[in-house]
Amino acid sequence: MATAPDRLYFVADFNIEPLARELANTTRPGLETAIAPPGPVMAALAAGPPAADWSAVVWTRPEAISEAFARARAFERIDHDQAIDDVKAYAAAIGRFAARARSVFVPAWVQPPFARGWGMLDHRPGIGATDLLARMNVALADALVGAPSVFVLDAGRWLASAGVRGWSQKLWHAAKCPFGPAVIELAAADIAAALDGVGGRARRLVILDLDDVLWGGLVGEVGWSGLTLGGHDHVGEAFADFQRALKALTARGVQLAIVSKNDEAAALEAIDRHPEMLLRRGDFAAWRINWDDKAQNVANVLAEVNLGAESAVFIDDSEAERARVRDAVPGILVPDWPSDPARFREALESLRCFDAPVQTAEDRARAGMIADERSRRTALAAADNLDDWLRSLEIAITVEALAPANLDRAAQLFNKTNQMNASTRRLSAGELAAWAAAPAHCLLTFRVRDRFGDYGLTGIVGLELAGSRARLSDFLLSCRVMGRHVEDAMLHVAAAHARARQVSTLVVEVVPTARNKPCLDFFLGSGLRETRHHVFEWDLSQPYARPDFVAVADHARVAASSDP
Amino acid sequence: MMDEEAARRLVYGAIDIVNRQLPAAKRLQKAPETIIVGEGGALDSLGVVNFVIAVEEEFADATGAAVQLLAENMLGDGSPFRTVGSLARYIAARPA
Repeated sequence: MATAPDRLYFVADFNIEPLARELANTTRPGLETAIAPPGPVMAALAAGPPAADWSAVVWTRPEAISEAFARARAFERIDHDQAIDDVKAYAAAIGRFAARARSVFVPAWVQPPFARGWGMLDHRPGIGATDLLARMNVALADALVGAPSVFVLDAGRWLASAGVRGWSQKLWHAAKCPFGPAVIELAAADIAAALDGVGGRARRLVILDLDDVLWGGLVGEVGWSGLTLGGHDHVGEAFADFQRALKALTARGVQLAIVSKNDEAAALEAIDRHPEMLLRRGDFAAWRINWDDKAQNVANVLAEVNLGAESAVFIDDSEAERARVRDAVPGILVPDWPSDPARFREALESLRCFDAPVQTAEDRARAGMIADERSRRTALAAADNLDDWLRSLEIAITVEALAPANLDRAAQLFNKTNQMNASTRRLSAGELAAWAAAPAHCLLTFRVRDRFGDYGLTGIVGLELAGSRARLSDFLLSCRVMGRHVEDAMLHVAAAHARARQVSTLVVEVVPTARNKPCLDFFLGSGLRETRHHVFEWDLSQPYARPDFVAVADHARVAASSDP
Repeated sequence: MMDEEAARRLVYGAIDIVNRQLPAAKRLQKAPETIIVGEGGALDSLGVVNFVIAVEEEFADATGAAVQLLAENMLGDGSPFRTVGSLARYIAARPA
């Protein structure tokens, strides 16, 4: 199945047409949009989206959802618990709506910037509308925790960023939309980023220049001790601040790499020895520090970390280098970059390309995995041959059925794995759980570790039983463990589960995409018989052999699935 | 008073704002003869409202003075909003 196009449905208590138009015509040209018929929001939520493959924006004004809030804004004494009850009823309606949608984006409630309420009393609990609205937004987010495909967006930031023109009473009176074009533009950008995140299109690698990006000055000329970085200097502070933001980004699961025209020894010495460096060698997944063409170096880094250009961001202070990489590496994001280091952190944190729908243990551990991977490569360099190295890794796989504890990570993997992915089927967490719950379906997750460390949950197999055949509906593996025979072990486990269910043939179709040739190559060399173009079969009268140096602990094993 | 060239740039600023919400084929051209309101215009009623308010805000930004353009009698026959050029002349003739 190819990646489904984004479709976006709008439910609002005000004229949401400007946002739909902004998204469809500028932010995401070609996006299919539809707006709920005029009428109460709760009725539109009850009616559901046009189809289950639609995402939705549900945007309301707080006074439309809670009459108690409207009265609080009119300085009436109200029972604030009533407003919270209104929120819970609204959240429940969104939850039911979300069960019939792909994903739902709910901008948090805001007040007009001119609304001062009680002034100094407006944040006092039990009195002020500002306090009440904050509690309503928290209650809304809390009530939606159990709906993993619903995301509350920070509309307050849109309003704050848009400035005085963000809210227009005139637009409200004339067009029944209180938000000015600047807010609409920001909302559209964040919603498009959320669609990208849900669709597995978040970027995962930032490739950085060094001189005048991570530090001030040319390290090849002034040496590491002469660089401007940290210390009692506002420019040095700005570079340190930028490094701090990059370091924080790695905690989101984003990797860092270096591409710099420089003397490698001098640059690495600066990274290792400068006392104000916040990023050290171990923070970088790869680097190319030489005098070669930067576009080629970027391509080499991408190959080394096994990511496509559409997963990467390139940051460089040189407009010419940015243009070169933008032209030569299609798909990479090359943001315009400010010349003032004081604006670097803002430029980085303003990027919307890292938004992901879940935050998993694997994301948080990724920075540590970089050091593990470097140890593996060191061992590979010292090994006589690839087989010896693979054996030395002591790879161990744990197989588990899909469960609430691994659902978020499984959905994340589902939506961002491109290369080793037979069907490239994209499903939200809710859709994945519903699919796996069907009696004829079986969804297995694979955790992989070796003697250097834990890769986490990195593989998924989906099996669909139909008569005497088991179809591998999904076969996907993180690029971080590709080529280490984990694929073969997954196929072994899939065959064992199919054999235990008394079916005779295992079949898989590799649906070609621009990125999954590694998957096709794997199946072409797997020993499965290609019965039709890109369709492969295994006769289950025989087990599919497990690579002898990969240990498998199958906790999802069903009776009789005891293939060695 | 604003000169006509400055007024035209102001209108172009409003065009940039409303064009974001228009399909590529329907976007307003930054040219004096571009029709804004009336027969042959690309804007629907929501687009007209957005455009007029955008012009008001551009005018306020440029001059520091408020202007009230969104009115029924501004949009009918003989409207200064008929074309970019007529609107620029109207704005240029207004006291700031």
